[in-house]
Amino acid sequence: MARAGTTRNPLVIAATALAVVAAAAAGWGGWDRYDASHDDAASYAQARDDALAAGEQAVQNMNTLDHRTLEKGLDSWEESTTGDLHRQLVEGRDAFAEQIVAAKTVSTAKVLSGAVTELDERAGRAGVMVALRVTVAAPKGEPAVKESRMLGTLTRTAEGWKLSALGQAPVGSTAG
Amino acid sequence: MSTTRHLVNRRRRLATSPSRATAAPVAGEEVAEETTAPPGLPEPEAGHEAGHEAEHEPEREPDLVPEPEPGADAVTTSPGRRLRPRLPAVLCVLTVLLGAFAAWAFASAASLRDEPARQNTALTDIGATSEVKGRISEAVGAVFSYDYASPARSDRAAKTYLTGRAVQQHKDMLAEVRAQAPKQKLVLTTTVTGSGVEYLDGDRARLLIFADQSNTRTGKDEETTYAAAMFAVDAVRNGDTWRIAAIDTFTR
Repeated sequence: MARAGTTRNPLVIAATALAVVAAAAAGWGGWDRYDASHDDAASYAQARDDALAAGEQAVQNMNTLDHRTLEKGLDSWEESTTGDLHRQLVEGRDAFAEQIVAAKTVSTAKVLSGAVTELDERAGRAGVMVALRVTVAAPKGEPAVKESRMLGTLTRTAEGWKLSALGQAPVGSTAG
Repeated sequence: MSTTRHLVNRRRRLATSPSRATAAPVAGEEVAEETTAPPGLPEPEAGHEAGHEAEHEPEREPDLVPEPEPGADAVTTSPGRRLRPRLPAVLCVLTVLLGAFAAWAFASAASLRDEPARQNTALTDIGATSEVKGRISEAVGAVFSYDYASPARSDRAAKTYLTGRAVQQHKDMLAEVRAQAPKQKLVLTTTVTGSGVEYLDGDRARLLIFADQSNTRTGKDEETTYAAAMFAVDAVRNGDTWRIAAIDTFTR
């Protein structure tokens, strides 16, 4: 009898109502939070941004080389790459180092702009295009400044996205 | 969620327990509800994460729930008096906890959605990405092509595809071509060879464009030169068409 009385207590009714409202809000909030954190597009967007950041950095590294710090520069080339490109760099390292030492050039690169053109998150592959300005300074003469249209392919590795192919966009082949 | 449902059930059970024998259907319904409810405690759609978030709530049950029962049963003298101040207090604590969780959840969800990476729907929105790419590639090809024989077509293209600052930028960029075109019988053709969407957010986008330009002098000695171009464009959507609003040629 007394128990039945408690449920009619206005204080209890009000407190219950508030608790129910709070519970509903908590449920809705939990769902909303879950929905926000399990958004496929969000993880894809994150992968895209990661790939672009890694791609731009790698393309810049690959166009930067100072004959005075040659070993460090070539190490960074190797660290930025994977797959075939990496293998080519390792194989050609000594011959290339000789050339640079002889030419005494200092190349510095600046990324002007970059975009991811394709991204297969599951396969761990991405394509990037990067607008690059490269300045090559030789012991004699004015530094040469050229702009490069770079196209790169990135492959995801345990240490993040790395370049597996890199080249300049061809000119003239499709125009006309 | 779970805690309240338990409490509500408990309160109902407490209320109906004296007459449980007679009110069999009600009791049966409650039992069914109690046994089926726990597996679906968090949101049905909610998997691991929500389950974790909610985990700390059910843990409190043993503390909160048993209280009214021993109180009601042990103190036979005035069960109502013992119950009355406690139940509201429990409910208040519950309300505060659930409210705090709700506030955190909504705030956290909002901040997740506001992440810059999510604002940019380049590639994540496949349809919109390919639409802006296609339209802007078409626009670049049209406005950076010029035929001395039909200069009006270039003007039309500029009117169709350009807006804002890009109008003047385009005029400046083509000024030389326009001046020399009649004399040299110039035909300039621009073809986009590569484009990528750097940023896309609703009605605004930025694209990186690689293009080839062929410049043909059709005068006495026909001669074609090719040039490589790269630039970025800002695009805006007006209605259902994208237009170029600014051209960034990366000049220092």
